[in-house]
Amino acid sequence: MFQTRLPIERDVDELTREFLIESQEGLDRMEHCLTELEERPSDNGLLAEIFRAVHTIKGTTGFLGYARLEKLAHAGENLLGLLRDGRMQANQAIISALLSLMDGLRAILHTIEAEGQESAGDDAALIERLIALQQSGTGVAEAVTVAAGACSAGAASEMLPTASAIPVSVLPEAPAPEISAVVQCGSDKPRPNTVASTAESTLRVDVTLLNRMMNLVGELVLTRNQILQATSNDANLTVLSRRLDMVTADLRENVMKARMQPVSHVFSKFPRLVRDLSQGLGRRVRLQMDGQETELDKSLLEAIKDPLTHAVRNSLDHGIEPPEVRIAQGKDPEGLLRLRAFQEGSHVMIEVSDDGAGIRVDKVRDKAIERGLVTQERVAQMNERELMQLVFLPGFSTAEQVTKVSGRGVGMDVVRTNVEKIGGKVELDSRTGRGTTLRLRIPLTLAIIPALIVVSRNQSFALPQGALSELVHISSEQDATVIEWIENAPLYRLRGNMLPLIFLDRILGKPALAGPIEHDRYIAVLDAEGRRFGLVVDGLADPEEIVVKPLSAVLKQIGFYSGATVLGNGNLALILDPGALANKAGAAQEAEEEQKRIQAGDEFAEAIAAEFLLIEAGGRQVAIPLGDVLRIERLARKRIEYLGNRPVLNFNGNLLPVEDQAGVLDRDQDSEQQISVVVCRDGNRQVGFVVEHVLDVAAGSDLSEAGTEVHAAGVTLLKDRVTNVVDMRSISALQGVEAAQQWEATQ
Amino acid sequence: MDSASAAPLEMCSVRVGKTLFGVPITHILEIVGSAAVQPVPLAPVYVGGLVHYRGDVLTTVSMRRLLEMPPIEALPDILVFDGENGYFGLLVDAVGEVLTVDRAAFEPNPSILDSRLMQLFAGAYKLKDGLLVMLEPKRLDPMTLAAGVAA
Repeated sequence: MFQTRLPIERDVDELTREFLIESQEGLDRMEHCLTELEERPSDNGLLAEIFRAVHTIKGTTGFLGYARLEKLAHAGENLLGLLRDGRMQANQAIISALLSLMDGLRAILHTIEAEGQESAGDDAALIERLIALQQSGTGVAEAVTVAAGACSAGAASEMLPTASAIPVSVLPEAPAPEISAVVQCGSDKPRPNTVASTAESTLRVDVTLLNRMMNLVGELVLTRNQILQATSNDANLTVLSRRLDMVTADLRENVMKARMQPVSHVFSKFPRLVRDLSQGLGRRVRLQMDGQETELDKSLLEAIKDPLTHAVRNSLDHGIEPPEVRIAQGKDPEGLLRLRAFQEGSHVMIEVSDDGAGIRVDKVRDKAIERGLVTQERVAQMNERELMQLVFLPGFSTAEQVTKVSGRGVGMDVVRTNVEKIGGKVELDSRTGRGTTLRLRIPLTLAIIPALIVVSRNQSFALPQGALSELVHISSEQDATVIEWIENAPLYRLRGNMLPLIFLDRILGKPALAGPIEHDRYIAVLDAEGRRFGLVVDGLADPEEIVVKPLSAVLKQIGFYSGATVLGNGNLALILDPGALANKAGAAQEAEEEQKRIQAGDEFAEAIAAEFLLIEAGGRQVAIPLGDVLRIERLARKRIEYLGNRPVLNFNGNLLPVEDQAGVLDRDQDSEQQISVVVCRDGNRQVGFVVEHVLDVAAGSDLSEAGTEVHAAGVTLLKDRVTNVVDMRSISALQGVEAAQQWEATQ
Repeated sequence: MDSASAAPLEMCSVRVGKTLFGVPITHILEIVGSAAVQPVPLAPVYVGGLVHYRGDVLTTVSMRRLLEMPPIEALPDILVFDGENGYFGLLVDAVGEVLTVDRAAFEPNPSILDSRLMQLFAGAYKLKDGLLVMLEPKRLDPMTLAAGVAA
């Protein structure tokens, strides 16, 4: 079945195939039961189930002639018989031996599958072990052989209280310890099974058949797209094509449902894994699994198997502490490992959480620096959450020694890559001393995704919409001004934030075109790998729902393509991988951030321009751009002279028109009164403002009119108040310089 | 197998430039004529591009590129092979007839052949009017070619 997914050989005949499939399933059930058996050693249901699995295998093997398999199964059956009859109690040693039996049977089945026959060799050691355990229970090696089907008239399949009711012939001598099971007659009578009804309403379907159906549905979607495009003009066909659309969508949904399997298929192997690992590492762990009925597409389940295994191993190896350590911390010596699956909107969330030691952020940071994965400066700027994400960097591992179990330095990076490959995301949450939670977020549908078609140098590419945040149009005139360059890194100012740009044609190795750009271009703003960046393309086409077709390994290696698809117009298009593009952009962004630091000085100078002088005049507050302020004069009232009606100031023959919007001069007639005049630059001239008080220097922010992107002129937001900015152009020029000079001359 | 060695072999002939190449017809999965090939930027040079084949996207290897010949306008024919790593296609100028060759007419690669061509070609059969240079799908699989480049 699932965890022992084997490519069934084409040559193996039908009967053997059936046998192999059934046996695998039986062994899977057996494994599941065995781990539960540890909790409930006398659960008869479990024991019976396990016995049945082995017994069925043994029965068929004789028929098919697999001697080795039969021998091993037989030995196991004997032991299981004793357990089932209540003559022995399952303990850890027995369960371990039964698990080994199961592994042994699996291995032989594997070989049969791959090579069409059993491998040579025997399982003497394992059989010895099983015999020994059996002896320890009953104290006697039962030298009883069973002739298949030699049971006499069906005794009831009740438990045998003692060995006295052996219904089969006994051999007087027992040369080699020929162990056999005390077989109950009628034990292989099919039990009236309430499960049967469920079994009848389900079908076992070959995965290849389902994949083929998926492919066909995919083709149908593509053809539908093509028809929709072709019939958009014809009214008659439009109705029909719409119906086709609905039916296709419905069919697709149903086929996808057919591929859904409950996550228990993956979770089911964890009890065993946790048991083995915790024993090996000397931890006491309780495994809790919730939401096992949550369903995921089969291929997605396949893809998260390894990441989940790694996460579980991590929890056991690095997370949950040894019992003594836990007790010392006041925790329950038995740690809790929780696997949880649930659906959230269009995603399935799978959580692996433990109540262990949590991730030591300081150790993570140090290790990352030590491995040269990040610089001291960057690290200094990171908050705790960001520091924790360092574990996802390739080449990372905090294990003091790389253990056999995990920590080879490839772990979390591979987990994230594998999950992102199927369109999912990984989140890590941890609290020191309290525990860690790894969260996988998997999208529900896989092979058909919404995409935007972009064009670069006359070739179409598909861009998954999941990563697309917005689109920006750049006309050919704007091109030169709107793309800013810092140290050869192109950037675009998107609402105040600098967006690193990458040009699709250049990424794809197309030679640069000579001359200025003659046509409009577009920036697709993408979010991937935790970065935001812009992809510059020549053109946009319609969004389409595309069927993702895999690329061959040689082309996958290029890195920028996550697959290919057939567009509505029938052409093939490569599907771009936003993650890979993000990494390319990341290099550009690093450069940009470096520049930012270097430019700090320049920016400071620029910042002044955005600052204002806040003044009060006539009870009102107004703002003057600080960059325009030359000086503030404090002088006696009498210095103000008048040219006609206009107050002016005379500075060494230069006349300064003085603006008195507040009417200060009218009020104060006292000639000795000190007044403040702010002298400002307005283009080529200078003007003065009479003010009552100079209040402050503050930074102002732009405002835009509500509902528009239009910059509101003449106002700024200063200290949280909307403040008028003095419009110096409103101050009329003095009437002719000649007039002033004339006046001068008369002085 | 002795009696079989006298039996004639059937080869599918294809033309690339002026050369006639042959592939045992049993190795060919399918022949597709005049297909539109979508180029893949940044792909290794021997990759001709992608072709839509039976619902899948097929990676194709271009004989012209392998032999460092200049490209031509006309759409290529495609030989589809079932390789170890999945299906792949071989782009040729045109697929020709099925020729029957005599095993005895086989000649191994001449020693003067440069090493790269040595790897690509699997000998040749003498024909009445020329040579049929043999190709082996295994040698033309994109993965094999990739490994060869890396080596």
